[in-house]
Amino acid sequence: MNFRERLQAWRFNLVPDHLVGEILTKRWTDNAIPFLALVATLGVFGSIIPGFFKLTSLQESTRQLGEFSLVVIGVTVVMLGGGIDLSVGSIFALSCFSAVYVFFILEQSIWLALAAALCTGLVFGAINGYLVGYLRLRAFLTTLVTFIFGRALFDILVTTYAADVQLSQASSDVLDFIGDGTFWGLSVSVWLAIILAIVTHIALTRSRPGWHVLAVGGSRRSAHNAGIRVRRTVFMTYVFSGFCASIGGFLIACRLSGAGPGTGLNLEIMALTAAVVGGVSLGGGRGSVVKGLMGAIIVLTMTNGLIRLGYGTGTNQMVLGILLAVAVTIDIRWLKNRHKVLNEVYVAPVYLKMGETQSAAPGSGTSYELDNRLSAADHIGLGELEGPEDVILDRDDHLYCGTRHGEIVRFFAPDYRRSEVFAHIGGFPLGLAFDRDGNLISCVGAMGLYSVSPDREVKRLSAETTRSWTSIVDDARLRDPNDCDIAPDGRIYFTDSTKRYDAHDWALDSIENRATGRLLVYDPKDGSTKTLLDGYRYTNGVCMAHDGKSLFFAESWACRVHRYWLEGPKAGTAECVIRDMPGYPDNINRASDGNYWMAWLGMRTPSFDLSLRHPDMRKRMTRRLPQDEWLFPNINTGGVVKFNEKGGIVEALGDLSGNAHPMVTSMREHKGYLFVGGILNNRIGRYKIEGADPNWTSPASYWGAKA
Amino acid sequence: MILDPILDVFRGKAVTIPPLDGAFRPNTRLDDATVFAELSEPDNLLVSDGRLLVSSGNAILAVAAGSEPVVVETFQSPVTALALSPTGELTVGLESGKLLIAGKEVSLPAEIRCITALAYADDGTLWLANGSSEHAPSQWAADLMKKGASGSLWRCGPGGIGFQKIAGDIAFPYGLHPVGANVLVSESWRHQLVRFDGANGSRLTVLTHLPGYPARLAPADDGGAWLTLFAPRNRLIEFVLQETHYRQDMIDQVPPACWIAPALASNRSFLEPLQCGGIRTMGIRKPWSPSRSYGLVVRLDRTMQPQFSLHSRANGTRHGICSVAEQDGRLFVASKGGNCVLALDLASGGFRWN
Repeated sequence: MNFRERLQAWRFNLVPDHLVGEILTKRWTDNAIPFLALVATLGVFGSIIPGFFKLTSLQESTRQLGEFSLVVIGVTVVMLGGGIDLSVGSIFALSCFSAVYVFFILEQSIWLALAAALCTGLVFGAINGYLVGYLRLRAFLTTLVTFIFGRALFDILVTTYAADVQLSQASSDVLDFIGDGTFWGLSVSVWLAIILAIVTHIALTRSRPGWHVLAVGGSRRSAHNAGIRVRRTVFMTYVFSGFCASIGGFLIACRLSGAGPGTGLNLEIMALTAAVVGGVSLGGGRGSVVKGLMGAIIVLTMTNGLIRLGYGTGTNQMVLGILLAVAVTIDIRWLKNRHKVLNEVYVAPVYLKMGETQSAAPGSGTSYELDNRLSAADHIGLGELEGPEDVILDRDDHLYCGTRHGEIVRFFAPDYRRSEVFAHIGGFPLGLAFDRDGNLISCVGAMGLYSVSPDREVKRLSAETTRSWTSIVDDARLRDPNDCDIAPDGRIYFTDSTKRYDAHDWALDSIENRATGRLLVYDPKDGSTKTLLDGYRYTNGVCMAHDGKSLFFAESWACRVHRYWLEGPKAGTAECVIRDMPGYPDNINRASDGNYWMAWLGMRTPSFDLSLRHPDMRKRMTRRLPQDEWLFPNINTGGVVKFNEKGGIVEALGDLSGNAHPMVTSMREHKGYLFVGGILNNRIGRYKIEGADPNWTSPASYWGAKA
Repeated sequence: MILDPILDVFRGKAVTIPPLDGAFRPNTRLDDATVFAELSEPDNLLVSDGRLLVSSGNAILAVAAGSEPVVVETFQSPVTALALSPTGELTVGLESGKLLIAGKEVSLPAEIRCITALAYADDGTLWLANGSSEHAPSQWAADLMKKGASGSLWRCGPGGIGFQKIAGDIAFPYGLHPVGANVLVSESWRHQLVRFDGANGSRLTVLTHLPGYPARLAPADDGGAWLTLFAPRNRLIEFVLQETHYRQDMIDQVPPACWIAPALASNRSFLEPLQCGGIRTMGIRKPWSPSRSYGLVVRLDRTMQPQFSLHSRANGTRHGICSVAEQDGRLFVASKGGNCVLALDLASGGFRWN
């Protein structure tokens, strides 16, 4: 190994590149940019303005923040529903005026003033909602109209009644408390904002109306097709926005004890900027209340900070404009390119030097030497079947296999011409095994471990194990359960091949070659699932040894077979029994002569083995080439290999023509015949094994002769 | 995206190849064509006295409809190029670097060791393409993977006064088509056709961005030409050509048959590289899947622009076409990767790409 290669091995095996991709798959990464912006804003202004974090200063800021946050929550909900509300500023101002008018001029109680403010907001919100939701006018223009109209009305009213308000003698302790008092150190407006934020958050994420809002914003048509009342939902978002703005208006009326020409001026721009900067998507459907609040804090900190630094209104507006432009750009670019970035960084190859192998080429004279015998196999279900990864036969000689449509198909003995869908599970049924009671146990790719009873009742046995402490993606979930076998005591041993790729992307795992495969056990007594072994390169086939004291399991991308001891002095440990094979092992099953059959899903190629020692090259390959062009192991040629208890190779069968069985993922011996399946094949092969016991069956081998 | 040029510096440019479109639109004409003769690795085709001659290994054979190929002549080493002079002398280039005209060995400058193509102009001038100064013709893959550009173009005559070098630094010249005093050369590793001036050797690129590696050229009856492309361009191969360390290790440690390199035939051994798109699924190999070998013959008009093409796609077998010959309204196609000579009827018409 030269220096460069050693450096590569260190670089790619020690630096956890794969975490970048895993973090990007998390939805909370959407929050990361606004959160960083928030921290940066607070940091910058906190450090350059002396006393920025002082209590009195904060008290005034947070009072303002409370009012502003209420408005932003309303705007956020409208935007989540796919709309936009420009009229919040004028609703805010008019509500403020309503409260002031009722309290100071009509000299009514403060509660009546609150009712007046809320009424104003709800009425204006309802007007918006009716026009946009039911009459389906453009949200932008409609709310622009209500904004202009409301603002004009407010200006007229304020100039008319300003003097009367000034002269009013009305006063109230409640009003003073709402305006100036604090409760547990926080002002009323902040408390209200917090309560409303929590309620709205729960409603959006946990309630039917909230989900409807998100669904409508995500796709109006799909929401309609799903039976959601789209118009009413849109209507309600505007009413809610009006409601939020009116509470804000009432609070400012209490705080300022009056209304002036500046009340609510430019509030709509600030609220909109806050929502977008926080990461609420303008397109609708994506965002949250928390994001809106983060945006509110950023925007308010910036504008207040700039004012305190002595910059005028012009600069302030300019900064807001720039902030909005940047946020909109990031929002759109990120939304559009996130999956591309993820695609580019997700595959994070590691270094591996494969051991020298014996040749399997015809004429090489090794025990691995492949021939063309499998091409002579009869075919079952040709053209009807798609993807029989594993095959199994019951005591009545019927043949079962999974398909890529998520079904388990049964072919009837003796000629296997007739078939029926035995059960529909979903996912991709892979490994199969019969338990003592004749239940068909299946590892279902992308779903978990399932059991199908003889009367076709489908039951989920396990879909998760314990989560490891250092995982970023949820590795408790079974991502690619691959093959299973059952111990004499009824415990089901099965493999989960990879934590990094979904079942249908199994071949991509070979490019990355990261060791994340597991061996697990499901205990039917208490329904628990435990991880026995972790850190193998694609664990695959599992087979209980003939004596039931140990099991064999295949490690595909490392071309190895291991033995895991269930009892005896080595119980709980694994040892490698076959290493450096020329092919990639898949399922393993018992043979009638006391040996074991192992399927090869593909063959090692010198060019791919070399690429495993060049992880940088593989990484660039995944970035610069489309997936169809990537270098793969040669999974167009497979075979069936028989090995003995000690790991010695007995014989190998192949289909070098590649016409009938290019890739072999499983085989099952039954009454002198070998049934051959392939995950990418469109048939099951039936091959007559010379000299095999014509009475041997797998169910009898596991559970004894029929009672 | 506007930032792509900046990001490319860090992540590398996407590797792209010209699409098979326009005159190169795929069809299955080569796979549909009837087999005229079956023989091992037919390389060069030549029509002489109405007979069709084919080079195959060390021998030149005459093939005719309905009969077994007859050996005309055998040589010490494989035949790599054939031509017929206007006066009817058979000119043969050999793997060993020897040149025989009418059975007599001609002395060559020491630089010429890789005779890939021979062609006579109407006035009797003999053009010779020397593919590489470092590799023999059979080691073409090594020349490509080492990014060789040491080929040269030579001229002799008329009258046999010895060879003059017309141009050098050509990336594997593999086909010759004399046009008047000039010659059209297929420059394989750069996927282009170049016209060299017979007088001063100045070059003019005639056709570029070919979707494959061009091999030999043959005259067509109407004054145009037939161009064969012996292997397709493949994005993985072009990517490997950019990968210095991997490529060097591959050349040093992997047997040439298992390289990630173009090939005359592929999918014959499980030790060959496989690309994701080439996985056999439900018994089918996708015809548009990436492949290391392909069958492609292109008809060029008088201005050397492509008119239409004949294909054997990724799932076909008539791959690795290095030479064609047109005779009496029939086109003979030698598929070196498919071990056969095909005959296509040109007269029946319908030879438009759509």
